[in-house]
Amino acid sequence: MILVSPAFALVAVFAAFPLGFAVYISLTDWPLIGPYRFIGGRNYSELIHDPGFVHSVLFTLLYTAIVTGPILVVGYAMAVLVRANRRGSVFFRTAFFLPFIVGLATESFMLLLELQPDSGAADYVLSRLGLARSDTAWTVHYGLALTAICVFVIWFASGLTMMLLMAGMQGIPRELYESAEVDGATWWQKERRITLPLLRRNIALALIISVIGSFLAFNQFYILTEGGPGTSTQPVVMWIYEEAFVQYHLGYATAGALALVIVVAIISAVQFYLLRDDRPVRR
Amino acid sequence: MKLLSRQALAGAAVVTLLGAAGCASSGSPASTAPQSSTFGVNATGMVQFWARTVSKTLAQKLVSEFNATHKNLQVKLTLTSINNDVTSLATSIRAGNPPDVVGLNDIDVPAFTRSGSFMDLTAQIAKLPFKSALSPGHMGLAAYQGKQYGVPYWGDLSVLWYNKQLFRQAGLNPDNPPTTYAQILSDAQAINKLGHGISGFTFAGDCQGCLGFTVQPGIWADGSHLMNGGISSQTANITGNSALMKALTLYREIWTQHLAPDNDRTDNGPTWGQDFVAGKIGIMPGGYGQVTTLAKPSQLGTEFMDTPLPGTNGGYSTFDGGDDFVIPAAAKNASGAWEFIQWVLQTQQQDQYPDLGATPIRTDVLTPAFSAAHPLDAVALKALGQGYAPPTLVYDQMFNQAGGPWFQMFTTAVYDGNMSLALQQGQSGLTRLLQQAAP
Repeated sequence: MILVSPAFALVAVFAAFPLGFAVYISLTDWPLIGPYRFIGGRNYSELIHDPGFVHSVLFTLLYTAIVTGPILVVGYAMAVLVRANRRGSVFFRTAFFLPFIVGLATESFMLLLELQPDSGAADYVLSRLGLARSDTAWTVHYGLALTAICVFVIWFASGLTMMLLMAGMQGIPRELYESAEVDGATWWQKERRITLPLLRRNIALALIISVIGSFLAFNQFYILTEGGPGTSTQPVVMWIYEEAFVQYHLGYATAGALALVIVVAIISAVQFYLLRDDRPVRR
Repeated sequence: MKLLSRQALAGAAVVTLLGAAGCASSGSPASTAPQSSTFGVNATGMVQFWARTVSKTLAQKLVSEFNATHKNLQVKLTLTSINNDVTSLATSIRAGNPPDVVGLNDIDVPAFTRSGSFMDLTAQIAKLPFKSALSPGHMGLAAYQGKQYGVPYWGDLSVLWYNKQLFRQAGLNPDNPPTTYAQILSDAQAINKLGHGISGFTFAGDCQGCLGFTVQPGIWADGSHLMNGGISSQTANITGNSALMKALTLYREIWTQHLAPDNDRTDNGPTWGQDFVAGKIGIMPGGYGQVTTLAKPSQLGTEFMDTPLPGTNGGYSTFDGGDDFVIPAAAKNASGAWEFIQWVLQTQQQDQYPDLGATPIRTDVLTPAFSAAHPLDAVALKALGQGYAPPTLVYDQMFNQAGGPWFQMFTTAVYDGNMSLALQQGQSGLTRLLQQAAP
């Protein structure tokens, strides 16, 4: 007990107390400054009927649904390309992973410049290919903005998925593939019968990280669209941010934040259950 | 689940940290007024001064000079981020340990004065011989229920910038800048005809705050406001507001006649003014400090010149942006803070402002000598006397948000061309926010 007490104290101070205090704040009408009152569960009941909150949750779900699959597929494809230690593998691993290292905020600002009508690279390239007008204003139209951000995030996040899957692929014993080859298995059969089943845990981890990241999306929307036009591209974390730091409804925003925590917890638990690996763990 | 727990706790902690300091107090101190006749005179000790990073150069110079000339009273400067200065101050007040004096963004002042967080300085300000010369917009934002809770610190004013060389090339007189909407439009048309990537006008078309900063002064110049009444009883004044309609019509004309670059539509602030400084734009409403910061000193006055933001028919105004000095009610050295404030407001210090990237906040600083030494800042200072800033508890929600009623109205009127719907949106949006904020 003595040995674990420092860890216990740290968790209590930096995790349990803040979480408990957040629950308390969410039960008040805590403003920026001035007195506050205990209002019970009113913040939570108002959340359910708040069209802004409901829209942001639905938009976040839509965004998550759009990007999760492509991130996994593109990440898997990149992992297949670079998993073997061939000439150039290190270069491509680095190139694919680099967007994740540079960071979402920096790249969002860069993309903001490249999406400018007439002067940005996106319009220049796409107009040369006949795919868009040279004055396309990507960030101020809902469909275009969502498309641009989703493509951007898939490019950004696939590198991390690639790393997680590649590590799993390199851990699969080579003998399994050699045995399959002796039996005449094709490349696709080996992927489907050997690689995918043995990557189940890695895929689960990659998906959970990807989904949680999508639910907590903020930077790219804040920088590229500011939630606009109107509030059409406002994810739930931006809604929480604006309630807390623009509207200064701290109690209400905290209730929204805790609701998000619960939603993410439920979805992650479902993912863990669906992607569970029933194989016994070797000790 | 370990990862999940971390994410969950991190998310909760962000919000929690804001209020963590508030455990000891469920309220804020009642506003106080200094009683002693020696308040602000020969104070001693240390004054904790919080200033926003946007006034860094100014604040550092002032503090350095003050400390060099005041042996018994020293000022310690702390720079606060423009993104969280309000929450930092609120947290310190809740914790009962605020700084002694704060340079607070003037539009944020009403949210604090309403809750009695600042010291009532009415009597002290009344004794200032230059009281009537203090920036009216800054003063208005620090006034509440007949009392004055702050004084101006520095001005960040909006003006109309124009390119003198492009004016000449277009056959316009660079000494006769626009003084009406009609002249803005005709001058922009003339410059636009130069071609070669030159545009007559530019504006940050996706930057809500920038548009509020530069479009509203024209409305004020015409003698109108978007809200009527005091903070506790404000009403929206949108539908039927002819000054507003004329301002929106001007921008609609500029947009439909392609007098501004197409990428203005997506300019949300970070690149605002770059094209003007690159010499590709004839006219740009913007901040005084914006161009003086971006351009080379040799270009100021020769290539780039400013003029007050006009209204429809010759009037002018400016957005009285910048900071107010406020003293938190629980300040430990309020007397020292007021002594420092009085020192900053003296002419000798005010005269230094232009060289430090700011506009003075006393209109009586505008003398022939000042105009000769600082001709561009003199324009902004001239506008200061006609300046304004809307005192409201919900400015950010109204004017600085992508989903706010101001930008929704602007977008519908200027880009979509539906004026009547735009005015309806503005009226209902402002009314809703004002009702939510009503005491």
